[in-house]
This record gives sequence, structure tokens and C-alpha cells, in this order.
Amino acid sequence: MVQRLKEVDVVVIGVGMVGSMVAKELAAAGYKVVGLERGQTRFTVPEFQSPAIHDELRFDVRKALMQDNTREAITFRNQSAQTALPIRRWESFLPGTGLGGSMVHWNGQTYRFQANDFQLATRTRERYGKNFLDPDVTIQDWGVTYDELEPYYDRFEYLLGTSGKAGNIKGRIQAGGDPHESPRSREYPTPPQKEHFQGAMFRKAASSLGYHPFPQPSSNLSRPYTNPEGMKLNACVFCGFCERYACEHYAKSVPQTIILPVLLANPNFELRTGCQVQRINLDSTKKHATGVTYIDAVGREFEQPASLVVTSSFALNNVRMLLLSGVGAPYDPATGQGVVGRNYAYQTMSSVASFFDEDVIVNPFMASGASGTLINDFAGDNFDHAGLGFIGGAFIGAVNTNGRPIQYHPVPSGTAKWGKGWKNAVVKHYNHSVMFSLHGSSVAQKQNYLDLDPTYRDAWGQPLLRMTFDFPQNDLKMAAHVTSKAVEIGKAMGAKQVDGSPRKGPYTITQYQTTHNTGGTVMGDNPKTSVVNRYLQSWDVPNVFVIGASNYPQNASWNPTCTLGALTYWAIDALKNKYLKNPGHLVSA
Amino acid sequence: MTPRSHRRTGLLGGSLLIAVMPYVSTASAASAQTQGQGQGQAQAQAATTTAPAGSAAAAPPCEACHGAHGEGMAAAHVPRLAGQSAGYLLKQLNDYAQGTRDNPIMRNFAKALSEKQRAEFAARYAAMSAPFNAQTTPLNEVQLARGHQLAFQGSEARRVQACDSCHGPDGVGVDFAAPYLAGQSAEYLASAIKAFQQGTRKNDAGELMRSVAQGLDDADIAAVTGYYATQGTATR
Repeated sequence: MVQRLKEVDVVVIGVGMVGSMVAKELAAAGYKVVGLERGQTRFTVPEFQSPAIHDELRFDVRKALMQDNTREAITFRNQSAQTALPIRRWESFLPGTGLGGSMVHWNGQTYRFQANDFQLATRTRERYGKNFLDPDVTIQDWGVTYDELEPYYDRFEYLLGTSGKAGNIKGRIQAGGDPHESPRSREYPTPPQKEHFQGAMFRKAASSLGYHPFPQPSSNLSRPYTNPEGMKLNACVFCGFCERYACEHYAKSVPQTIILPVLLANPNFELRTGCQVQRINLDSTKKHATGVTYIDAVGREFEQPASLVVTSSFALNNVRMLLLSGVGAPYDPATGQGVVGRNYAYQTMSSVASFFDEDVIVNPFMASGASGTLINDFAGDNFDHAGLGFIGGAFIGAVNTNGRPIQYHPVPSGTAKWGKGWKNAVVKHYNHSVMFSLHGSSVAQKQNYLDLDPTYRDAWGQPLLRMTFDFPQNDLKMAAHVTSKAVEIGKAMGAKQVDGSPRKGPYTITQYQTTHNTGGTVMGDNPKTSVVNRYLQSWDVPNVFVIGASNYPQNASWNPTCTLGALTYWAIDALKNKYLKNPGHLVSA
Repeated sequence: MTPRSHRRTGLLGGSLLIAVMPYVSTASAASAQTQGQGQGQAQAQAATTTAPAGSAAAAPPCEACHGAHGEGMAAAHVPRLAGQSAGYLLKQLNDYAQGTRDNPIMRNFAKALSEKQRAEFAARYAAMSAPFNAQTTPLNEVQLARGHQLAFQGSEARRVQACDSCHGPDGVGVDFAAPYLAGQSAEYLASAIKAFQQGTRKNDAGELMRSVAQGLDDADIAAVTGYYATQGTATR
């Protein structure tokens, strides 16, 4: 028996970063908003307090903050000729759940993408010619430009209070910042984090090679900050428990610290947790959404009618929601037709480990989620790709975030994998090693996509999302090239052994890489190659907006969160000032 | 609550002493070298609790305020130093000397000491144990419960994290980073929080204590400081 509830103006599916931002703005504008969150309510006090939150076994190994894959998994295969199986233990990527979403367990790395990234197809054609890329690569422009997004990037960074050093303010290069960045309108809200010793070593070596090191932009704050919502954040204490954990100090910018209290105080908003949305409901024309159907924590089924539906879940779950609801045509890799699930991309992560003598004392545990030093000299299109046979790149940085006892134990290649030899090596190298992260771009290609699994279902009987993914040759070539450059930096630091580990195929879901899953509900200016228009409005069902990293046509060389924040404010602006004043298609197909 | 707390702080009090041992031996070695004395004698004589030579002749010894065993003087808001982390004590002495923590009495004492002497005093007090102060202003059960909540859990409404997040389990302190609170006098703790709140004390890393203090009102300060004052043991 489905209970039909009173209609509201807006229903938001997923109350994480995007959902909190959208709901806060629309509730403040006077609309009745309901936020449906599948997970539980949680706040800095009491849920995130230490020592309980510093439980590495519970949060790091057993992944207590992540989507419950005994109820809702994802199936995976490398190629469409294989049979996908459910991921029973998250390793490669870690989708979060619960109030505040995946942002609760992020590292706070807050990069902008570059102007080039938003027009990647056009710029690549212009610079390298029409036939430069593998014909299977399906990169495309975003339909929005960096200049259009800049004010929204700015607003998002000031919401977070991001600590950093500008490299380019209105076209003027700033000493100490990243000279490759696209122009920003003003300095970061707070100064950079303190540099850890690994970062200082990296800075010296990278400078000596003629590169341009700069401090990682961090949303674990360098000093107390009050954001434009009136929320006050503290300075980070460098406890080394950011990623996979929540912050007990009100020092990491997450929905709970930057916006949720303001949202929850607004009587126009109602939060409902433990609510698993089954589908967006469409009317008989299939061109108009009437609301959503969800099942609550005790199994009761509700229909929540709404004039506007915003899907603001984790990227992969946004894709699944559209597929379950019949919003947009599913992508078919055989024909190349259809759009939902198309252009799934990831991040191409490589690493370099440098090992030193015992008089070099690193203290890796004195770190924060984004307190490192890096270069963008080999990121994006910041170097000439002519003759290299690939596009894209990676930032290279000494951006290690922790020295936690269970998971952090760098050992040189050739070390025994277990037993006494391994243990001795861990003891010997723990405090005398520097790890570089090489955070690489990911192109979309025809064979990589998301659809519904024909076999496996979730706890509510709905088909699981199926991921078909392997690394494109373009990205493996990129990883090899950039890793060779990073090894040179390790040697310039004076390490006695430098191990470069360029990413190699096939892609495995059994090894942690990153939770930067992108694409599947791509934005663009052509309904044949995108799910949503430049305002993140569904081409097919104009009262559905889809907001997430699922909108990225391919993934760039940086962590995706800051760009998603900018896109969210951009879409909110379109909702408030265009769509809600005159509902209908914001862009004609 | 009380018996359990005593058991726990008793155990952790032991580990605190172990934690400061490196400081003690460093100070001993340094003084043995300079004074030409045997190592065994060195620790006892490494630093006296009297005011250092070179300061005004009429200056009272440290123990005049901080007590013969480092037990402090609650009524005068003078902190208990016995068993406090040597790293923390040294930082405070250095801050007094440099003026980054301001107190007219302590400024003069600290300035008159060499950096080595400051380290010796810090190690000396870290190695002391003193009787647990009698609670001067007992709290009622509701206040104690609130104090425990703030100490252990914090307050979302006030956006204040648990004191124990930095000051260690049950407020026993974390060497160098944060002083113990358990067993410290409520009067001193309250005056320290007020100083952070009013911005007259500014030697906290990242303005962390200033941020926390600004989130607390007088009732919460009384509750949490009174709570910690009940958490000491005679062994420290």
C-alpha cells in the first residue's frame, strides 16, 4: 500500500554536498523542499568525535562510512564480453552514505579545473589536429566555459573557506601559487596550510628541475574562518585522519560544518533520513516528472509528489536513478546510441615512492588531507603533447595525507610481501620514505559505460548498476610518461631508491585508487551526446535536474569536488533565476 | 563514575610518567655534564624549585605559588604542575620569556632562565607527583553530567568538540601537544579558558583554544572545569 504524501515544490534525492546546497538555496527562496537521504543523520558531535573516529580498522579497513554493499552493491566487469559480478567489498572507490554524503570522508583537496578542460574536444582538435586521438575516445566539450563558472568557483571556495595561494589573479601571475591555473577573481579565503617535511623536500627538488611547486588547496583550514552562511570553522590540527574519516574538530569543510545547520533551521525544508528512493515517477507522456517513490527505514512505501526533482546523489547513483526511472535513453555501446551511462570515466592514478637513509626523518603522520606540495607542469594540457600520442596529464605531488599504522607502510620494490622480511622493511622505511601521488586525467571512450545489471538486484528488488570499465590506452600512455618525470623528482630529492609505479591495466576494483567516478549523466549542448543541458536540466524531462560529477563528459587531472561545487551554484542560479520563474526547457534541443 | 575514573586515570597517570622519561634523562645528562656530578645525583639537583640565580634577590621560590610538590594554588588560579607534560611546560616557559604568553610574574622568572634551565624546570615538574587537590567548589550531579558530556563528547549546539579529542582520553594530556586537564584545579582551568575567550592568552596553535572558549558560556565553563577537577588521583 503506497501512501501518497502532500505535494511539495522540490524533492532532493541525496542530502550530501550538492543536496544541501540546492535545498538551502531553494528553501531560502521560499520553496517547500523535502530532502530524502538513504543513510542516517550524523553530526560532528557526537558521531565524529575521537577517539572513536580514529578507529583505523573500522573506518579505513571496514569502511564504516560507505554505502552498505550488502544492501546495495555495484556490479563490475572490464569488458562487455564478460559477466559482471557484484563488488562485495569496496576497494577501488568508496561511495559514502548518510547525511553529508561522501564529502564527510573527503580529504579537502579543492582544485579548480582549467579553462582548457571545459572545451577539451575543441582545444585538442585545434592544437593537435583532427586525427590525433584513438577513434574510440569520446571526449567532448562541457557546454559551459571556465569564465562562466569562475564566479561560482569563487563562491564555492568561500563557502568552504579553502586554504591556498592564488597563482593567477585576473591574469596576473602570483608568486608562490600555481602559474598554470586559469585566472581567478581573488585570493583564496584563507592562507595555505603549513607545509609538511615531505612537501618541503618536494618543493626544493621540483624547483631545482625548473618546475613550479605550490601548496595544495585545502579545505581542512589553516586558520579559523566564518563563511558567508555564518558558519564558523576551526583550524586543522594535523591529526592525519581525513580521508575515510570524519573530522572531529569542525576544521574540515563538509555539509555539517558549512551549510547543513542553516538548511535545517529553515522551516521550508524537511529532512527525511533512511529513505531509499526507488524511482522518479513520470506522467503518461514520459516528459514530466510527478515526484518520487521511496521506501522508508521500516519498509513503508511513499509517493512524494513534487513539481521539481533534483537528483543530487553520488555520481554513480545519479546514473542509476535515471536508468531506474526511464529518464533519458540508456546508452548502447554496440550502436553508440543513447546517453544515460555513456562517458563513464575515472581517474588514472600512479605513484612514486622514494626511499631515504635513516637520517632523513619524515614523520608522515604529521599530515592533513591536503597539506602537500605539488606541480601542475605535467597536468592537463600544460605541456606539449605533440608526438606523445595521448592527451591529458597528472599533477605530481608529495601529497601524502597520513601515516596511519595499519594501512601506511611503504616498502621498496623487491621486499618480501609478508612475514619477517616485510615487517623489518616496514619498520626500517616507515619514517624515511616519501610518497608522490600522480593524479591523472581520464578520457571517456566508447567501451566504458554504466547500465543496469540484468542479474543482480538490491535489497529492495531493483537492478544494481553495472560498470564496464578498463583503462583507455590514452591514459596508460599518459601515466607512463608522467611517472617518468616524477621519478626524476624523486632522484633530485636525493633518495637512494626511487620506485615508479605507472598505472597499468587491466583496471581492478580490488585496489584502492580514488573515489572520483565521473560521467554517465553528461552535460553538453547536444541531446544526442549528453543527458543534461548546460544548466544540468534533463533534455527529456525538464523538471528533473541532475547534479553530480556524473555531469563531467570526461575527467580532468584534478580532484572533482571543487568543480562540482561550482557547477552546483551555477545550476542553482539557473533554477532560481530562470527555471522556477518560468518552468520549461532552459535550452531548446 | 568516580571509582571507574580513578582506575583509568591511575593507569594512564603511570603511562604519563613513562612518557616524560626522555625529558628527564635529557635534563639529567645535560646537568651532569655542566656540573660535573654523577648521573645518579644529577636528576635531583638538576633544577631546584627556587627562583633562578640572576633574578631579583627578593624573588620568591617557584614553590611559593606552585607548591612544594607542584600541587598549585587553586584559590589564586595558580596551576598544578606536578606530572604535567615537560614539553608543554617548556613551551609555556618559552612563551612567557618571549611574551607570546603574557603574565607579569611568570614573564620575569622565565626571562631570567636560560633555555636549558627552562628545560630543566620543565623536566623537574614533569617528574613530580603531588596530592590531589581538594575540590573547592563542588558541582551538583547535573553540572557534573554536563561537564562529562563536554569533556567526552562536546556540543553540537555550541559547535565545540570534545576536550578529550586533543587533551587525551579522560583528559590525561598528550605529551607536548596538550596539557592534562584531569586533576587540574577548576579555578585555574576556568581562568585559562576565560583568558582564551577574552583573547588575553593567544599562544594556542591554530587559535584552537580561542575558538573553543568562545563557544562556551559561564555555566559550561564551570561544569567542564569542575568535572575535570574531580578526575585526578593522588598518584600524580
